[in-house]
Amino acid sequence: MTRTITLSLDINDRRYDVDVEPRVTLLDALREHAGLTGTKKGCDQGQCGACTCHVDGKRVLSCLMLAAQAEGRKITTIEGLATGGGDLHPVQVAFMENDAFQCGYCTPGQIMSAVACIREGHAGSDEEIREYMSGNLCRCGAYNNIVAAVRQAAEMADA
Amino acid sequence: MTIMEPRKHGSSADGVVGGRLSRIEGQLKVTGAATYALEYPTEGLAHAVLVQSTVAAGRVVKVDTASALSSPGVLMVLTPEDDLGLRVSGDWGGNPPEDLPYHPLPREVQFNGQSIAAVVAETREQAAEAARLVSVTYEEQPGVADLDDPKAGEGKLLAHLSVAWGDAEAALVAAPVRIEADYRTPREYHCAMEPHGLTAKWEDDQLIIWEPSQWSHGMARMYAEWFSLPSENVRIISPFIGGGFGSKGQPLAFGAVAAAAARKLGRPVRLAVTRPQNFTSYGGRAATRQTIKLGATPDGILQAIIHRGANETSVYADVPEQTGAATPILYKVENFSSESRVVPVNTVSPGALRGPGKNPSAFGIECAMEELAYALNMDPLELRLKNYADHDYQSGKPWSTRQLREALTQGAEAFGWSKRNPAPRSMRKGRKLLGWGIGCGTFPVIQAPSEAMIRILSNGRVEVVSGSIDMGQGTYTILAQTASEALGVPVDQVDVVLGDSRLPGAAIAGGSMLAGSITGAVHKAALAARDELIGLALGASGSPFRDTGANTLTIQDGRLSLPREDSPTMNLPELLASLGRDHIEIRRNTLPEDLSLQDQQKSWGNMSRVQGPTMGDYSMHSWCAHFAEVEVDEDFGTVRVSRMVSAFDCGRLYNPRLVESQWRGGIIMGIGQALLEEGVVDPRNGRTMNSNLGDYLVPTNADIPDIEVISVGIPDLRASALGGKGVGEVGIVGVAPAIANAVFHATGKRVRDLPITLEKLI
Repeated sequence: MTRTITLSLDINDRRYDVDVEPRVTLLDALREHAGLTGTKKGCDQGQCGACTCHVDGKRVLSCLMLAAQAEGRKITTIEGLATGGGDLHPVQVAFMENDAFQCGYCTPGQIMSAVACIREGHAGSDEEIREYMSGNLCRCGAYNNIVAAVRQAAEMADA
Repeated sequence: MTIMEPRKHGSSADGVVGGRLSRIEGQLKVTGAATYALEYPTEGLAHAVLVQSTVAAGRVVKVDTASALSSPGVLMVLTPEDDLGLRVSGDWGGNPPEDLPYHPLPREVQFNGQSIAAVVAETREQAAEAARLVSVTYEEQPGVADLDDPKAGEGKLLAHLSVAWGDAEAALVAAPVRIEADYRTPREYHCAMEPHGLTAKWEDDQLIIWEPSQWSHGMARMYAEWFSLPSENVRIISPFIGGGFGSKGQPLAFGAVAAAAARKLGRPVRLAVTRPQNFTSYGGRAATRQTIKLGATPDGILQAIIHRGANETSVYADVPEQTGAATPILYKVENFSSESRVVPVNTVSPGALRGPGKNPSAFGIECAMEELAYALNMDPLELRLKNYADHDYQSGKPWSTRQLREALTQGAEAFGWSKRNPAPRSMRKGRKLLGWGIGCGTFPVIQAPSEAMIRILSNGRVEVVSGSIDMGQGTYTILAQTASEALGVPVDQVDVVLGDSRLPGAAIAGGSMLAGSITGAVHKAALAARDELIGLALGASGSPFRDTGANTLTIQDGRLSLPREDSPTMNLPELLASLGRDHIEIRRNTLPEDLSLQDQQKSWGNMSRVQGPTMGDYSMHSWCAHFAEVEVDEDFGTVRVSRMVSAFDCGRLYNPRLVESQWRGGIIMGIGQALLEEGVVDPRNGRTMNSNLGDYLVPTNADIPDIEVISVGIPDLRASALGGKGVGEVGIVGVAPAIANAVFHATGKRVRDLPITLEKLI
């Protein structure tokens, strides 16, 4: 397969025109073609959550979605979470304040999941946060602090 | 006792050693700006994909590459036919390599999942498609699938691991109370979230490698030996590592393949090891089995410990997973005997995974101690305290520091151990059975030299420069704290540059030896820089201190002054400006002083100067005691860890906030080991059947309760320059037995083979 298609992707409120083979996943399009390497590849088979980003405001595993499927939809990655002025998103701040990561590799996916988890209304209790953050593996074992960070950010969102 | 409560916001004291400074690289990590190995853009990149063997043992007789080569975008297919021109590299100890060819894509297959070919193409997708078209014909030979294969046998005795004192056999026979049991642990895997991989690029005879590395200098040296280059011709770049846990300390066959392919093609090559390929491209923890016999008096005084252990290894290297490593040093015992064997099977050589040796070793002895406690009808906490080792009975040396008693008593208090009903099946929470258990852990203090450079720039910024690495343990942060305190400059004025083999050499980030080593070197360099600054300030033309007659100055908050209230002051930019200097650079190391420059340089690429825990006058170790609560649903056999309290003696903590995170991480990996993790091997062909994160289960967020960690350590200045002992490895050691013991307390069923899965309980 050598045929490429030109996709126009709306990523973080910016248009990216990429020439990719039709089989290229959204994850690889982001990392290898759009130069947005903040979204991580941990398994490439939908099992670890490291590649989580938002499509039309909902969390998706970008390794299980073809880039072509994302055309015409609004894609948000970790690079697009802070405001244009550079202020960090409250979840990013909460992750730093609660030491909710060690190596940092799962962190973009955790944060994108956390933002969605709060938006979905699934951050009502520690138990609920644990359940709805369980699609994102963290081998360093920052889970206690991830729960604390999501709780803190959810409380701020409520306030 | 210090109960570690998470604290959200910092204080002014956080920047010094022992402060709770947030990770200084944190913002890079939460914004996606931290760059990992496969994220460096390179012009003209080609992509390599590995082809792995599908038989356990045999010989590759033919590789049909025709379809792959005619597949779109394919540039090259490497097979055992290709002589890549490599030589074997030397070992970790720095012994010179044997003069032998090295074939990273070998003709002789030694395990299922061994890399035997590689396809290089314009894109990763093209390479992956073509890799599926490579057809391999084998002359298959019978293989040994795993430890349980009837062909595996009893293996080889490793005599250098035999330990004995007293007369253990006689003392056991004479002991009124005896227990004997077999304990087993399965293959376990690192599963760092960042899969392995690299980008290799040649510039003439210079090789640049972007690869996650726990040891930039060691890996550079080994790559150099493969390619018959001087070490300085290889540069490893690794500023961020997505977890290692022991797996990223040496270059692996796929690295040789990528670098050789890049040389052949004259183009940079990226090779991303797929998640399933990660399970066989390097070894996890070997499967182990051990038999433990304990003898005691009726009042619980240990009389004898006999340990016989074995672990699987590969057919090409004898790698011990020392199940006898913790056994001799946890308790006072006058009669001891331990022997260890390795059993070759057709697997990739096992590697070092968090708490190597000590971890499965503690599973044996700490389960056995609780079995003895039940046999004696004695509280397991009391039994442990009663047999407290006043010194190291193996080496005969005194402990440097050992706060294990404090860990046990303070952990018990925080956990509420005194409220335990000792009878199995006696405690309930709703319809679930509740169980409490203890597991102790230990890990040796391993010492190694390091070097560091301090650069003071004309804008007043201070740079700490080191080839050491940070894979999440907090090296960036603790080095900023160390330099800040020693130099007297605010921590936010300090930058830390790490992860490049061109920078000053450092100990491996492994065996919990890096923090103690590199803080020592940075502290030494920073003190020297401070002296240098003071000397220069006293003598500089236009210096306000020049004619004061002072012979020293203080540096505080980044300003030099006389030690009196009305002193003139000078900041670092002013000092450098008055000297007309662009920067000041000071380099120091902790090697012996009489080494030649050449020997100094050699020291960073091998472990010949690494010191074990009893090489001096004392026996030096980190210690811990874990208290676990489990809830068991009897209908389904499901076990949930509902509470953990763990108390640690790791000496002085350079940054308690980061240490707590690392302890919790070790404990969580231990929960996975106890309840979830098991590499499953197909007995027919030695294939790892669950080589992915959906089938090899690691803990998820919902599997983990709140974990309370307590520090009971005191500074140990024999262990390291700043008084810390190792943190990263010890956290996992003792967790699995604490959980297994809690499961027994809950159910009355003793599960002696990990993981404790539901079919073993119902």
